Amino acid sequence: MEKTEIIEKLGRILSTVLKHDKFEINEALSATDVDGWDSLTHMLIITEVEKEFNIKFKLKELNKLQNVGSLVELVHLKLQN
Amino acid sequence: MDDYIFRDATLDDIPFVADVIINAEKSSSDKLGFSLLFNLPEDKVKELIMAMLAEEVDGCEFSLSSFLIVEYKGFPVASSGGWIEGFHDSTPSKILKSNLLSFTFPPESLQYLKEKSYLLQDMYLERENLALQMEYAYVSREHRGNNLAAAIVTKFIERALIEYPGLKKVQVQCYKNNVPSIRLLSTLGFTEEKSVKSDAPEVLDYLPFNVKILMEKIIQ
Repeated sequence: MEKTEIIEKLGRILSTVLKHDKFEINEALSATDVDGWDSLTHMLIITEVEKEFNIKFKLKELNKLQNVGSLVELVHLKLQN
Repeated sequence: MDDYIFRDATLDDIPFVADVIINAEKSSSDKLGFSLLFNLPEDKVKELIMAMLAEEVDGCEFSLSSFLIVEYKGFPVASSGGWIEGFHDSTPSKILKSNLLSFTFPPESLQYLKEKSYLLQDMYLERENLALQMEYAYVSREHRGNNLAAAIVTKFIERALIEYPGLKKVQVQCYKNNVPSIRLLSTLGFTEEKSVKSDAPEVLDYLPFNVKILMEKIIQ
């Protein structure tokens, strides 16, 4: 799957979980930039990403994530393996 | 007070710290949010909290390294968690906590939480970066009345100032029904700065109270 497709799907997951689309999905976007991206919604976002791409993250992988760009990279890597 | 020893939590303290978290989460009620919102029995919740603590992720409320233990005659009798938000890792504690929960709790429990998430959507209080955050204070029943809770808060502030001399603020989040904690914090100079409330009618079936407050103390 291309990274552009991954980022599009992530954008849809964020809109669904956060219940708004008042953000511009790009690689630099992080939890601190988006209204409503709190501990609860972060948990739901991670769960939905795992479900959407049929992958399972390790805790170390999750804790290294800095922004949407690093999440896209990680999803892309896991889909290739 | 001389009979009490204050020390950092170790791996051996994990079962006690898990009990501390559970008792503190109940906040003067019999409602354990982790149990009711994730649809899990309390003993399973304790097992999962122990698993999160064993991961030794620093900088959030499920970090073993955040906990200070008060020991009496060789046994832990009181504890609290505390960390400087964003000091060691720029990742916010809310993300570290959520990563631990989503990694540790079973998928069916996360799905159940998703269905109940509307109960929590108005109950979120942001943690200020570089403020000392204190969470989950608990003193076992037989050691109450000895000023241990106040001593823990004082000890945390002393230690945090050594670690980060620029520390300016201490923050504590608690449910509004936790009158003993609010009274204690007020005597220590904390003031209520913010509150959030859920108007969902069934919230009291899942959480200890429907109002959460942020108490703060400016230390310099």
